[in-house]
Amino acid sequence: MNDFLLFVVLPYLALGTFFLVTIQRYRQRTFSYSSLSSQFLENKQHFWGSVPFHYGLLFVLGLHLAGLFIPNAILSWNAEPARLFITEITGLAMAVVALVGVVNVIVRRFNFSKARRVTTTSDWVIYLLLVVQIGSGIYVAIYQGWGSSWFATNAVPWLWSLFSLQPDVSYIASMPLSVKVHVVNAFLLIGFFPFTRLVHVLVVPNHYLWRRTQVVLWNRDRRRIRQAK
Amino acid sequence: MFAHRQIILIAALIVGGGQALGQAPSEDSYDYFRLNCSSCHTIGGGDLVGPDLKGVLDRQERDWLIDFMLDPAGTIDGGDAYAQEIFRAAKGQYMTKIPSLDRAKAGAMMDLITHESGLEKSVFAGMQLSDRPLTRDDEKLGRKLFLGQAEFAAGGPACNSCHTLVDLGGFGGGRLGPDLTSAYSRLDGRKALSAWLSAPPSEVMSPVFADHPLEGDEVLALVAFLKHAAASGEMEAESLTMDFLLASFAGAALVLILLDLAWRKRYRATRRPLLNRTRAGKATR
Repeated sequence: MNDFLLFVVLPYLALGTFFLVTIQRYRQRTFSYSSLSSQFLENKQHFWGSVPFHYGLLFVLGLHLAGLFIPNAILSWNAEPARLFITEITGLAMAVVALVGVVNVIVRRFNFSKARRVTTTSDWVIYLLLVVQIGSGIYVAIYQGWGSSWFATNAVPWLWSLFSLQPDVSYIASMPLSVKVHVVNAFLLIGFFPFTRLVHVLVVPNHYLWRRTQVVLWNRDRRRIRQAK
Repeated sequence: MFAHRQIILIAALIVGGGQALGQAPSEDSYDYFRLNCSSCHTIGGGDLVGPDLKGVLDRQERDWLIDFMLDPAGTIDGGDAYAQEIFRAAKGQYMTKIPSLDRAKAGAMMDLITHESGLEKSVFAGMQLSDRPLTRDDEKLGRKLFLGQAEFAAGGPACNSCHTLVDLGGFGGGRLGPDLTSAYSRLDGRKALSAWLSAPPSEVMSPVFADHPLEGDEVLALVAFLKHAAASGEMEAESLTMDFLLASFAGAALVLILLDLAWRKRYRATRRPLLNRTRAGKATR
């Protein structure tokens, strides 16, 4: 019964909330779609938070999506142990990079009064969910290793059973606790996503991932301004 | 899912009713036994991991057996004398609790066992696998199948997705399932291991392999490989995990260095001191 709640009801609730609220929010409060960056308030520690977090997480998320949509391609790639090791080491390395990022983000938000002042409760909740998500993922990668293969064979069929409206929890029901924590927390994140500033992920084009860095130059003449007084 | 349950319930009722009229159990019951029970039990073919079930209803009450099937570990740990006895006979292996099993299905299994026990030779009298000696080629094929370098004909996933084993090379195999180095000796050799592999009964494996069963030659190849592994010694899983961890941490450090390099022109070394001096009121020119 608990399995039914956690692995059928929760995913449907989370996905339903995700789609309905993101669309409703975009239609009614279009300009709330923003990352509400605090880079302007502090940009030294910001680099070691934001940059590793984003690139680490996007890479790992990409691997999960590849497993979901092209599981057989992943399994064929992993059929040679050397390639499997490349997938696993790269995946774990990028997860560690993402963890370094999110920890820096949290420390910075906590330590800088300006940044702390613009941090809302929903931000703190999302940070907690992200730490649990990345932390449990790293734990699973180490202690239940080669998830790039068994995700494709054991978890993906369950996810597709949800998408095809014929939920079958037998695939996931007997997974270790760490895997269940990772899965349940993922759906909590998905459900909470539309109420937070994470929505900026959805605003295309996400050209800030590959555009050149912006440099703000001050070109006013401070002396002339002083003399004019 | 609900409809599926109802169908099984109806099937079970039909089976129950059919028994009274002397009819054979339904095809569903045979499939259910094959998938969930045959990896550890024969009917008239001798003991595997679990006891031979021929005439089991002459040895124990039907209701006791059904209660036991629904909660094997609970019955054994509850101190029931008969349960303790079969637990000892199975060398301390708990019977797997089957998540999809309910009272109706357990009853259908009892009817099937009764029916099959009355036959001269049950279809579950034993594996239809060859008794031929295992060769060095079997062992090689088994290794390839284990690693995924050779594919299973029915599309089942490679063993190393979830299992590791001595001498796999590199960082070893997966860690979701148990280390299989001692599987051959743990399951008491070829016969029980073959039966186990023919329909893997564990809760994690059975949904995955239900539609992708291993073929006879593949089972024999894996048995040969596992037998070889059991003779080779102990697994060094922990040191391999540490190697994997260190390699990944090194990779993470490399990525952080690359990110730092990619943004080397960011707002710091030259421009930040300039800004700080301006803020402190000193001339910048």
